[in-house]
Amino acid sequence: MTKPIASSTAIVGIGRALAWRGDAERKTPLQLGVTAAVDALRSAGIRRDQVGALFTGRTPQAYMVLQYNQSLLSELKIGPTLNTEVTAHGGGALGTLQLAALALHAGVIDYALCVTNEASGIWLDQVTSNAAWEGDLQFEAPYGASTPSLYAQFASRYMHEYGVTPDMCAKVSVENRNWALHHPHAAMRGKGPITVDDVLSSRMIASPLRLLDCAVWYPGGIATAMVVTRADIARAAHPRATWIAGFGQCSTHEWVGERMNSWGYEPILDGPNLVRTGAGVAAKQAYAMCGLTPRDIGIVQSSAPFSFANLMMLEELGFCGPGEGGAFAQSGGIDFDGGLPFNTMGGYLSFGQVAQGLYNLNETIDQIWGEAEGFQVPDVKVGMVHGHGGPLACHSVVIVSREQMQ
Amino acid sequence: MSQDMHAPIDWSKGMDLMAGPYFVGLYQPSPETAGFWDGVVRDELRLKHCAACGRFHHPKRIACTECGSTGLAFRAVSGIGEVYSFSEVHRAPAPAFVASLPYTVGVVRLIENVSLFTRFIAEPGPIQIGAPARVAFRTLEQGHRMPVFLVGGP
Repeated sequence: MTKPIASSTAIVGIGRALAWRGDAERKTPLQLGVTAAVDALRSAGIRRDQVGALFTGRTPQAYMVLQYNQSLLSELKIGPTLNTEVTAHGGGALGTLQLAALALHAGVIDYALCVTNEASGIWLDQVTSNAAWEGDLQFEAPYGASTPSLYAQFASRYMHEYGVTPDMCAKVSVENRNWALHHPHAAMRGKGPITVDDVLSSRMIASPLRLLDCAVWYPGGIATAMVVTRADIARAAHPRATWIAGFGQCSTHEWVGERMNSWGYEPILDGPNLVRTGAGVAAKQAYAMCGLTPRDIGIVQSSAPFSFANLMMLEELGFCGPGEGGAFAQSGGIDFDGGLPFNTMGGYLSFGQVAQGLYNLNETIDQIWGEAEGFQVPDVKVGMVHGHGGPLACHSVVIVSREQMQ
Repeated sequence: MSQDMHAPIDWSKGMDLMAGPYFVGLYQPSPETAGFWDGVVRDELRLKHCAACGRFHHPKRIACTECGSTGLAFRAVSGIGEVYSFSEVHRAPAPAFVASLPYTVGVVRLIENVSLFTRFIAEPGPIQIGAPARVAFRTLEQGHRMPVFLVGGP
Protein backbone atom coordinates (compact mmCIF):
# COMPACT_ATOMS: atom_id res chain seq x y z
CA MET A 1 0.00 0.00 0.00
CA THR A 2 1.76 3.13 -1.16
CA LYS A 3 0.76 6.75 -0.74
CA PRO A 4 0.20 8.98 -3.79
CA ILE A 5 3.35 10.96 -3.11
CA ALA A 6 5.53 7.82 -3.21
CA SER A 7 7.72 7.87 -6.33
CA SER A 8 5.91 10.98 -7.54
CA THR A 9 9.25 12.73 -7.93
CA ALA A 10 12.69 11.82 -9.21
CA ILE A 11 16.26 13.09 -9.03
CA VAL A 12 17.32 13.81 -12.61
CA GLY A 13 20.54 15.76 -12.25
CA ILE A 14 23.46 15.72 -9.81
CA GLY A 15 26.49 17.94 -9.46
CA ARG A 16 29.30 17.75 -6.95
CA ALA A 17 32.29 19.89 -6.09
CA LEU A 18 35.01 18.80 -3.71
CA ALA A 19 38.04 20.54 -2.27
CA TRP A 20 40.72 19.62 0.21
CA ARG A 21 42.48 21.56 2.93
CA GLY A 22 45.87 22.44 1.48
CA ASP A 23 44.63 22.88 -2.10
CA ALA A 24 46.34 25.79 -3.88
CA GLU A 25 43.09 27.75 -3.84
CA ARG A 26 41.12 27.88 -0.58
CA LYS A 27 37.60 27.21 -1.80
CA THR A 28 34.57 28.66 -0.03
CA PRO A 29 31.32 26.79 0.46
CA LEU A 30 29.68 29.25 -1.94
CA GLN A 31 32.24 28.52 -4.67
CA LEU A 32 31.67 24.80 -4.24
CA GLY A 33 27.89 25.20 -4.06
CA VAL A 34 27.69 27.27 -7.23
CA THR A 35 29.97 24.87 -9.10
CA ALA A 36 27.88 21.88 -8.02
CA ALA A 37 24.61 23.64 -8.86
CA VAL A 38 25.76 24.58 -12.37
CA ASP A 39 26.88 20.98 -12.93
CA ALA A 40 23.55 19.65 -11.67
CA LEU A 41 21.60 21.85 -14.07
CA ARG A 42 23.87 20.76 -16.91
CA SER A 43 23.52 17.09 -16.02
CA ALA A 44 19.72 17.45 -15.93
CA GLY A 45 19.78 19.33 -19.19
CA ILE A 46 17.60 22.20 -17.94
CA ARG A 47 17.92 25.97 -18.11
CA ARG A 48 18.25 28.27 -15.12
CA ASP A 49 14.82 29.77 -15.78
CA GLN A 50 13.23 26.35 -15.35
CA VAL A 51 14.24 26.19 -11.68
CA GLY A 52 10.99 26.70 -9.74
CA ALA A 53 12.42 26.18 -6.28
CA LEU A 54 15.78 26.53 -4.60
CA PHE A 55 16.20 24.70 -1.31
CA THR A 56 19.52 24.81 0.52
CA GLY A 57 20.75 23.22 3.72
CA ARG A 58 21.46 25.59 6.58
CA THR A 59 23.98 28.38 6.16
CA PRO A 60 27.48 26.89 6.02
CA GLN A 61 29.56 27.49 9.14
CA ALA A 62 32.36 28.66 6.87
CA TYR A 63 30.11 31.22 5.14
CA MET A 64 27.85 32.85 7.73
CA VAL A 65 25.23 35.08 6.15
CA LEU A 66 21.64 35.61 7.20
CA GLN A 67 20.10 34.02 4.11
CA TYR A 68 22.51 31.71 2.36
CA ASN A 69 19.90 30.68 -0.20
CA GLN A 70 19.76 34.31 -1.38
CA SER A 71 23.52 34.38 -1.91
CA LEU A 72 23.28 31.23 -3.95
CA LEU A 73 20.40 32.38 -6.16
CA SER A 74 22.21 35.64 -6.88
CA GLU A 75 25.25 33.72 -8.04
CA LEU A 76 23.14 31.41 -10.18
CA LYS A 77 20.94 34.20 -11.55
CA ILE A 78 17.72 32.34 -10.91
CA GLY A 79 14.38 33.68 -9.63
CA PRO A 80 12.54 30.75 -8.09
CA THR A 81 8.92 30.69 -6.89
CA LEU A 82 9.94 28.90 -3.67
CA ASN A 83 13.24 29.49 -2.00
CA THR A 84 14.47 28.79 1.53
CA GLU A 85 17.10 27.28 3.76
CA VAL A 86 16.02 24.03 5.34
CA THR A 87 17.48 24.20 8.77
CA ALA A 88 16.97 20.97 10.69
CA HIS A 89 20.74 21.10 11.29
CA GLY A 90 22.41 18.30 9.32
CA GLY A 91 18.97 16.71 8.88
CA GLY A 92 17.98 19.65 6.72
CA ALA A 93 20.12 18.40 3.85
CA LEU A 94 17.71 15.58 3.05
CA GLY A 95 14.89 17.89 4.08
CA THR A 96 15.57 19.90 0.92
CA LEU A 97 14.55 16.85 -1.14
CA GLN A 98 11.42 16.39 0.93
CA LEU A 99 10.25 19.97 0.44
CA ALA A 100 11.04 19.63 -3.24
CA ALA A 101 8.89 16.50 -3.45
CA LEU A 102 6.01 18.26 -1.70
CA ALA A 103 6.13 21.28 -4.02
CA LEU A 104 6.49 19.13 -7.14
CA HIS A 105 3.75 16.70 -6.13
CA ALA A 106 1.46 19.68 -5.50
CA GLY A 107 2.15 20.87 -9.04
CA VAL A 108 3.40 24.28 -7.93
CA ILE A 109 6.71 23.92 -9.77
CA ASP A 110 8.32 21.70 -12.41
CA TYR A 111 11.90 21.59 -11.16
CA ALA A 112 13.58 22.08 -7.79
CA LEU A 113 17.26 22.62 -7.21
CA CYS A 114 18.56 21.33 -3.84
CA VAL A 115 22.04 22.41 -2.77
CA THR A 116 24.10 21.64 0.31
CA ASN A 117 27.63 22.79 0.82
CA GLU A 118 30.19 23.21 3.56
CA ALA A 119 33.94 23.78 3.67
CA SER A 120 34.55 23.96 7.42
CA GLY A 121 37.53 21.65 7.14
CA ILE A 122 39.30 24.28 5.03
CA TRP A 123 38.43 27.31 7.11
CA LEU A 124 37.67 26.40 10.75
CA ASP A 125 38.97 24.59 13.81
CA GLN A 126 35.85 22.53 14.27
CA VAL A 127 36.82 20.98 17.60
CA THR A 128 36.39 24.33 19.31
CA SER A 129 33.92 26.05 16.98
CA ASN A 130 31.48 23.15 16.92
CA ALA A 131 31.27 22.96 20.72
CA ALA A 132 29.84 26.48 20.66
CA TRP A 133 27.10 25.39 18.22
CA GLU A 134 26.24 22.02 19.69
CA GLY A 135 25.64 23.09 23.29
CA ASP A 136 23.51 25.81 24.88
CA LEU A 137 25.85 28.72 25.66
CA GLN A 138 23.86 29.54 28.80
CA PHE A 139 23.13 26.15 30.42
CA GLU A 140 25.68 23.75 28.90
CA ALA A 141 28.84 25.38 27.55
CA PRO A 142 29.90 26.89 30.94
CA TYR A 143 30.26 23.32 32.27
CA GLY A 144 32.95 22.54 29.67
CA ALA A 145 30.72 20.48 27.41
CA SER A 146 32.64 19.32 24.34
CA THR A 147 30.70 18.07 21.33
CA PRO A 148 31.52 14.41 22.06
CA SER A 149 30.54 14.85 25.72
CA LEU A 150 27.05 15.94 24.64
CA TYR A 151 26.57 12.83 22.49
CA ALA A 152 28.16 10.77 25.26
CA GLN A 153 25.08 11.46 27.40
CA PHE A 154 23.10 9.35 24.92
CA ALA A 155 25.92 6.79 24.71
CA SER A 156 26.22 6.24 28.47
CA ARG A 157 22.52 5.79 28.92
CA TYR A 158 22.12 3.60 25.80
CA MET A 159 24.96 1.28 26.82
CA HIS A 160 23.66 1.19 30.42
CA GLU A 161 20.09 0.30 29.50
CA TYR A 162 20.81 -2.28 26.81
CA GLY A 163 24.12 -3.77 27.93
CA VAL A 164 25.83 -2.55 24.78
CA THR A 165 29.60 -2.79 25.25
CA PRO A 166 32.48 -0.72 23.91
CA ASP A 167 33.67 -3.59 21.71
CA MET A 168 30.23 -3.77 20.06
CA CYS A 169 30.43 -0.06 19.28
CA ALA A 170 34.00 -0.48 18.02
CA LYS A 171 32.73 -2.87 15.35
CA VAL A 172 31.11 0.12 13.63
CA SER A 173 34.45 1.93 13.49
CA VAL A 174 36.19 -1.15 12.09
CA GLU A 175 33.64 -1.79 9.33
CA ASN A 176 33.29 1.88 8.37
CA ARG A 177 37.05 1.96 7.90
CA ASN A 178 36.92 -1.12 5.66
CA TRP A 179 34.60 0.73 3.28
CA ALA A 180 36.62 3.96 3.44
CA LEU A 181 39.80 2.17 2.32
CA HIS A 182 38.17 1.71 -1.10
CA HIS A 183 36.92 5.27 -1.50
CA PRO A 184 39.17 7.80 -3.26
CA HIS A 185 37.75 10.78 -1.35
CA ALA A 186 37.52 9.30 2.16
CA ALA A 187 39.46 11.18 4.84
CA MET A 188 40.91 7.92 6.21
CA ARG A 189 41.42 6.11 2.89
CA GLY A 190 45.18 5.97 3.32
CA LYS A 191 45.22 5.13 7.02
CA GLY A 192 44.86 1.35 6.71
CA PRO A 193 42.41 -0.97 8.44
CA ILE A 194 41.76 -0.85 12.18
CA THR A 195 40.81 -3.52 14.71
CA VAL A 196 38.43 -3.53 17.66
CA ASP A 197 41.49 -3.42 19.91
CA ASP A 198 42.74 -0.32 18.07
CA VAL A 199 39.46 1.40 18.88
CA LEU A 200 39.45 0.25 22.53
CA SER A 201 43.04 1.41 23.03
CA SER A 202 42.64 4.79 21.31
CA ARG A 203 42.67 7.73 23.69
CA MET A 204 39.59 8.63 25.67
CA ILE A 205 37.85 11.79 24.40
CA ALA A 206 34.66 11.89 26.48
CA SER A 207 33.76 8.62 28.18
CA PRO A 208 32.61 6.21 26.89
CA LEU A 209 33.72 7.67 23.53
CA ARG A 210 37.32 7.12 22.45
CA LEU A 211 39.05 8.79 19.53
CA LEU A 212 38.16 6.04 17.04
CA ASP A 213 34.51 6.06 18.18
CA CYS A 214 34.23 9.63 16.91
CA ALA A 215 33.60 11.08 13.46
CA VAL A 216 36.58 12.66 11.78
CA TRP A 217 35.95 16.18 10.52
CA TYR A 218 36.32 16.10 6.75
CA PRO A 219 39.63 17.76 5.85
CA GLY A 220 38.02 19.80 3.11
CA GLY A 221 34.67 20.74 1.71
CA ILE A 222 31.95 19.15 -0.40
CA ALA A 223 28.97 20.61 -2.20
CA THR A 224 26.25 18.46 -3.67
CA ALA A 225 23.40 19.75 -5.85
CA MET A 226 20.44 17.80 -7.13
CA VAL A 227 17.71 18.61 -9.63
CA VAL A 228 14.35 17.07 -8.76
CA THR A 229 11.27 16.89 -10.97
CA ARG A 230 7.79 15.36 -11.21
CA ALA A 231 7.18 11.82 -12.43
CA ASP A 232 5.55 12.80 -15.72
CA ILE A 233 8.39 15.16 -16.63
CA ALA A 234 10.99 12.64 -15.49
CA ARG A 235 9.54 9.89 -17.67
CA ALA A 236 9.17 12.17 -20.69
CA ALA A 237 12.46 14.03 -20.62
CA HIS A 238 15.00 12.38 -18.30
CA PRO A 239 16.15 8.85 -19.08
CA ARG A 240 18.38 8.77 -15.96
CA ALA A 241 15.87 9.25 -13.13
CA THR A 242 16.36 8.00 -9.58
CA TRP A 243 13.04 7.83 -7.78
CA ILE A 244 12.30 9.27 -4.36
CA ALA A 245 10.28 6.30 -3.17
CA GLY A 246 9.57 7.47 0.36
CA PHE A 247 10.71 9.94 2.99
CA GLY A 248 10.12 11.01 6.58
CA GLN A 249 11.38 13.46 9.13
CA CYS A 250 11.19 13.99 12.90
CA SER A 251 12.91 16.46 15.23
CA THR A 252 12.72 16.38 19.02
CA HIS A 253 14.88 19.05 20.65
CA GLU A 254 17.60 21.64 20.34
CA TRP A 255 19.85 21.01 23.37
CA VAL A 256 20.55 17.66 25.02
CA GLY A 257 19.88 19.18 28.45
CA GLU A 258 16.35 20.05 27.37
CA ARG A 259 15.65 16.83 25.47
CA MET A 260 15.00 15.08 28.81
CA ASN A 261 12.17 17.49 29.55
CA SER A 262 10.30 16.74 26.32
CA TRP A 263 8.27 13.57 26.26
CA GLY A 264 4.72 12.33 25.86
CA TYR A 265 4.91 12.02 22.06
CA GLU A 266 6.64 9.67 19.64
CA PRO A 267 9.46 8.73 19.85
CA ILE A 268 9.63 9.65 23.55
CA LEU A 269 6.25 8.44 24.62
CA ASP A 270 6.30 7.05 28.13
CA GLY A 271 8.74 9.31 29.92
CA PRO A 272 12.06 10.95 29.26
CA ASN A 273 14.79 8.89 27.68
CA LEU A 274 18.02 9.27 25.73
CA VAL A 275 17.81 5.96 23.89
CA ARG A 276 15.19 6.62 21.21
CA THR A 277 15.31 9.29 18.53
CA GLY A 278 13.22 10.83 15.79
CA ALA A 279 15.00 8.58 13.28
CA GLY A 280 12.61 5.75 14.16
CA VAL A 281 9.61 7.96 13.42
CA ALA A 282 11.15 9.25 10.19
CA ALA A 283 11.96 5.71 9.00
CA LYS A 284 8.43 4.47 9.73
CA GLN A 285 7.02 7.36 7.69
CA ALA A 286 9.36 6.57 4.81
CA TYR A 287 8.57 2.83 4.79
CA ALA A 288 4.84 3.49 5.07
CA MET A 289 4.94 5.94 2.16
CA CYS A 290 6.30 3.40 -0.31
CA GLY A 291 5.17 0.12 1.22
CA LEU A 292 8.71 -1.22 1.58
CA THR A 293 10.29 -2.96 4.58
CA PRO A 294 13.90 -3.11 5.79
CA ARG A 295 14.31 -6.40 3.85
CA ASP A 296 13.82 -4.46 0.61
CA ILE A 297 16.70 -2.08 1.32
CA GLY A 298 19.95 -3.06 -0.38
CA ILE A 299 22.23 -0.32 0.92
CA VAL A 300 22.09 2.09 3.87
CA GLN A 301 23.91 5.31 4.76
CA SER A 302 23.72 7.14 8.07
CA SER A 303 25.31 10.45 9.04
CA ALA A 304 25.47 9.40 12.70
CA PRO A 305 28.76 10.86 13.94
CA PHE A 306 29.72 8.33 16.63
CA SER A 307 30.04 4.54 16.68
CA PHE A 308 27.27 3.94 19.26
CA ALA A 309 24.94 6.29 17.36
CA ASN A 310 25.29 4.14 14.26
CA LEU A 311 24.16 1.12 16.31
CA MET A 312 21.18 3.14 17.54
CA MET A 313 20.35 4.13 13.97
CA LEU A 314 20.46 0.52 12.75
CA GLU A 315 17.75 -0.09 15.35
CA GLU A 316 15.77 3.04 14.52
CA LEU A 317 15.88 2.37 10.77
CA GLY A 318 14.45 -1.09 11.37
CA PHE A 319 17.41 -3.39 10.65
CA CYS A 320 17.30 -4.87 14.17
CA GLY A 321 15.20 -4.45 17.29
CA PRO A 322 15.59 -1.83 20.04
CA GLY A 323 18.79 -2.47 21.98
CA GLU A 324 19.94 -5.12 19.50
CA GLY A 325 22.28 -2.91 17.45
CA GLY A 326 25.38 -4.07 19.32
CA ALA A 327 24.64 -7.76 18.91
CA PHE A 328 23.66 -7.15 15.27
CA ALA A 329 27.01 -5.57 14.48
CA GLN A 330 28.98 -8.11 16.52
CA SER A 331 27.38 -11.03 14.69
CA GLY A 332 28.45 -9.67 11.31
CA GLY A 333 25.34 -7.65 10.50
CA ILE A 334 27.30 -4.77 8.99
CA ASP A 335 30.49 -6.58 8.00
CA PHE A 336 32.14 -5.28 4.85
CA ASP A 337 32.32 -8.94 3.86
CA GLY A 338 28.78 -10.26 3.72
CA GLY A 339 26.82 -7.90 5.97
CA LEU A 340 24.30 -5.20 5.15
CA PRO A 341 26.14 -2.62 3.01
CA PHE A 342 26.19 0.19 5.59
CA ASN A 343 28.03 3.50 5.18
CA THR A 344 29.61 2.47 1.90
CA MET A 345 31.87 5.53 1.68
CA GLY A 346 33.12 4.91 5.20
CA GLY A 347 30.51 6.84 7.15
CA TYR A 348 31.21 9.91 9.25
CA LEU A 349 33.80 7.92 11.19
CA SER A 350 36.11 7.19 8.24
CA PHE A 351 34.87 9.08 5.18
CA GLY A 352 34.49 12.15 7.34
CA GLN A 353 31.88 14.65 8.42
CA VAL A 354 31.31 17.71 6.25
CA ALA A 355 28.82 19.13 8.81
CA GLN A 356 25.96 18.82 6.35
CA GLY A 357 25.41 17.41 2.94
CA LEU A 358 23.76 15.29 0.34
CA TYR A 359 26.94 13.34 -0.35
CA ASN A 360 25.59 10.18 1.31
CA LEU A 361 22.60 10.35 -1.04
CA ASN A 362 24.91 11.02 -3.99
CA GLU A 363 26.86 7.87 -3.08
CA THR A 364 23.65 5.85 -2.81
CA ILE A 365 22.53 6.96 -6.27
CA ASP A 366 25.98 6.18 -7.70
CA GLN A 367 25.70 2.69 -6.19
CA ILE A 368 22.22 2.21 -7.67
CA TRP A 369 23.52 3.02 -11.17
CA GLY A 370 26.66 0.90 -10.80
CA GLU A 371 28.92 3.96 -10.75
CA ALA A 372 30.30 3.94 -7.22
CA GLU A 373 33.61 5.76 -6.79
CA GLY A 374 34.63 3.31 -4.08
CA PHE A 375 33.63 -0.31 -3.64
CA GLN A 376 30.64 -1.12 -5.86
CA VAL A 377 27.92 -3.15 -4.16
CA PRO A 378 26.46 -5.51 -6.77
CA ASP A 379 22.89 -5.11 -7.95
CA VAL A 380 21.58 -2.30 -5.73
CA LYS A 381 17.95 -1.51 -6.48
CA VAL A 382 16.82 0.40 -3.37
CA GLY A 383 18.82 2.48 -0.92
CA MET A 384 18.08 4.29 2.34
CA VAL A 385 19.80 7.44 3.54
CA HIS A 386 19.54 8.81 7.06
CA GLY A 387 20.47 12.45 7.71
CA HIS A 388 21.15 13.51 11.26
CA GLY A 389 21.30 16.89 12.93
CA GLY A 390 22.87 17.07 16.34
CA PRO A 391 22.85 16.17 19.06
CA LEU A 392 20.61 13.31 17.85
CA ALA A 393 17.94 16.00 17.53
CA CYS A 394 16.85 16.10 13.88
CA HIS A 395 16.39 13.11 11.61
CA SER A 396 15.51 12.77 7.94
CA VAL A 397 15.15 9.53 6.03
CA VAL A 398 14.89 9.15 2.27
CA ILE A 399 14.43 5.91 0.33
CA VAL A 400 15.54 6.02 -3.31
CA SER A 401 15.05 3.40 -6.00
CA ARG A 402 16.13 2.64 -9.54
CA GLU A 403 12.60 1.72 -10.58
CA GLN A 404 9.51 3.79 -9.91
CA MET A 405 7.47 2.19 -7.10
CA GLN A 406 3.85 1.62 -8.06
CA MET B 1 37.74 35.95 45.52
CA SER B 2 36.29 39.09 44.06
CA GLN B 3 32.60 39.74 43.91
CA ASP B 4 32.83 39.55 40.11
CA MET B 5 33.86 35.92 40.27
CA HIS B 6 30.50 35.13 41.84
CA ALA B 7 28.52 37.03 39.26
CA PRO B 8 26.83 35.06 36.51
CA ILE B 9 26.65 36.48 33.00
CA ASP B 10 23.66 38.76 32.73
CA TRP B 11 21.77 36.64 30.19
CA SER B 12 18.72 38.89 30.53
CA LYS B 13 20.35 41.23 28.00
CA GLY B 14 21.63 38.45 25.75
CA MET B 15 25.22 37.99 24.57
CA ASP B 16 26.61 40.16 21.77
CA LEU B 17 27.62 38.33 18.64
CA MET B 18 30.33 40.14 16.71
CA ALA B 19 31.51 39.75 13.14
CA GLY B 20 34.86 41.48 13.26
CA PRO B 21 34.12 45.00 14.52
CA TYR B 22 30.43 44.72 13.62
CA PHE B 23 27.68 43.85 16.05
CA VAL B 24 25.44 41.39 14.18
CA GLY B 25 22.91 40.33 16.78
CA LEU B 26 22.24 38.79 20.17
CA TYR B 27 22.67 35.21 21.24
CA GLN B 28 19.45 34.15 22.98
CA PRO B 29 18.34 37.25 24.87
CA SER B 30 16.98 35.49 27.96
CA PRO B 31 15.06 37.72 30.33
CA GLU B 32 12.99 34.60 31.06
CA THR B 33 15.97 33.04 32.82
CA ALA B 34 17.01 36.05 34.91
CA GLY B 35 15.26 34.62 37.99
CA PHE B 36 17.29 31.43 37.71
CA TRP B 37 20.60 33.34 37.79
CA ASP B 38 19.33 35.55 40.62
CA GLY B 39 18.88 32.32 42.57
CA VAL B 40 22.37 31.10 41.69
CA VAL B 41 24.06 34.12 43.31
CA ARG B 42 22.10 33.24 46.49
CA ASP B 43 23.14 29.55 46.28
CA GLU B 44 19.54 28.69 45.57
CA LEU B 45 18.39 26.35 42.79
CA ARG B 46 15.20 27.53 41.13
CA LEU B 47 12.99 25.98 38.48
CA LYS B 48 10.06 27.34 36.56
CA HIS B 49 6.77 26.35 38.19
CA CYS B 50 3.34 26.34 36.58
CA ALA B 51 0.76 27.94 38.85
CA ALA B 52 -2.06 26.43 36.81
CA CYS B 53 -1.14 22.74 36.88
CA GLY B 54 1.61 22.55 39.51
CA ARG B 55 4.31 21.07 37.28
CA PHE B 56 7.94 22.13 37.40
CA HIS B 57 9.87 22.98 34.22
CA HIS B 58 13.38 23.68 32.92
CA PRO B 59 14.41 27.26 33.80
CA LYS B 60 14.18 28.28 30.13
CA ARG B 61 10.52 27.30 29.62
CA ILE B 62 8.23 30.17 28.67
CA ALA B 63 4.89 28.35 28.49
CA CYS B 64 3.80 25.19 30.31
CA THR B 65 4.33 22.32 27.86
CA GLU B 66 1.54 20.35 29.54
CA CYS B 67 -1.33 22.78 30.15
CA GLY B 68 -0.29 25.70 27.98
CA SER B 69 -0.29 28.29 30.74
CA THR B 70 2.12 31.17 30.35
CA GLY B 71 1.94 31.87 34.07
CA LEU B 72 5.29 30.30 34.91
CA ALA B 73 7.26 31.64 37.87
CA PHE B 74 10.52 30.65 39.52
CA ARG B 75 10.35 28.60 42.70
CA ALA B 76 13.22 27.34 44.85
CA VAL B 77 13.56 23.54 44.78
CA SER B 78 15.30 20.81 46.76
CA GLY B 79 18.37 20.39 44.57
CA ILE B 80 18.06 16.64 45.13
CA GLY B 81 18.18 14.19 42.26
CA GLU B 82 20.15 11.40 40.67
CA VAL B 83 22.66 10.90 37.89
CA TYR B 84 20.74 10.10 34.70
CA SER B 85 23.74 10.06 32.39
CA PHE B 86 27.31 11.36 32.42
CA SER B 87 30.58 11.64 30.53
CA GLU B 88 34.12 12.16 31.79
CA VAL B 89 35.69 14.76 29.53
CA HIS B 90 39.31 14.15 28.49
CA ARG B 91 39.57 16.65 25.64
CA ALA B 92 38.56 20.20 26.49
CA PRO B 93 36.34 22.28 24.22
CA ALA B 94 38.21 25.49 25.13
CA PRO B 95 41.58 26.36 26.71
CA ALA B 96 39.98 27.44 30.01
CA PHE B 97 38.99 23.84 30.79
CA VAL B 98 42.33 22.13 30.06
CA ALA B 99 43.69 22.42 33.61
CA SER B 100 40.56 20.75 35.02
CA LEU B 101 40.76 17.62 32.83
CA PRO B 102 39.33 15.13 33.39
CA TYR B 103 36.03 16.45 34.69
CA THR B 104 32.51 15.06 34.43
CA VAL B 105 29.49 16.60 32.74
CA GLY B 106 26.10 14.98 32.72
CA VAL B 107 22.36 15.10 33.09
CA VAL B 108 20.83 15.20 36.57
CA ARG B 109 17.21 14.19 37.03
CA LEU B 110 15.71 16.16 39.92
CA ILE B 111 12.95 14.83 42.18
CA GLU B 112 10.73 17.54 40.68
CA ASN B 113 10.88 15.56 37.38
CA VAL B 114 13.02 18.18 35.65
CA SER B 115 16.43 17.38 34.16
CA LEU B 116 19.38 19.75 33.93
CA PHE B 117 22.72 19.54 32.16
CA THR B 118 25.39 20.01 34.81
CA ARG B 119 28.86 19.30 36.19
CA PHE B 120 29.09 16.27 38.48
CA ILE B 121 31.65 16.26 41.26
CA ALA B 122 32.45 13.04 43.13
CA GLU B 123 31.88 13.77 46.84
CA PRO B 124 32.46 11.05 47.75
CA GLY B 125 31.45 9.40 44.46
CA PRO B 126 31.60 7.23 42.46
CA ILE B 127 29.80 8.97 39.60
CA GLN B 128 27.54 6.34 38.10
CA ILE B 129 24.07 6.19 36.60
CA GLY B 130 21.45 6.20 39.35
CA ALA B 131 23.76 7.60 42.03
CA PRO B 132 22.20 10.22 44.34
CA ALA B 133 23.22 13.81 43.61
CA ARG B 134 22.71 17.11 45.46
CA VAL B 135 23.18 20.65 44.31
CA ALA B 136 26.13 22.87 45.24
CA PHE B 137 27.36 26.11 43.72
CA ARG B 138 30.82 26.60 42.25
CA THR B 139 32.63 29.20 40.18
CA LEU B 140 33.76 27.27 37.10
CA GLU B 141 36.72 27.63 34.78
CA GLN B 142 35.43 30.54 32.71
CA GLY B 143 34.44 32.51 35.81
CA HIS B 144 30.75 31.59 35.71
CA ARG B 145 28.95 30.85 38.97
CA MET B 146 26.97 27.69 38.22
CA PRO B 147 24.94 25.04 40.02
CA VAL B 148 26.85 21.74 40.09
CA PHE B 149 25.89 18.40 41.60
CA LEU B 150 27.81 16.45 44.22
CA VAL B 151 27.51 12.71 43.74
CA GLY B 152 27.47 10.00 46.39
CA GLY B 153 26.95 10.21 50.11
CA PRO B 154 23.59 10.24 51.86
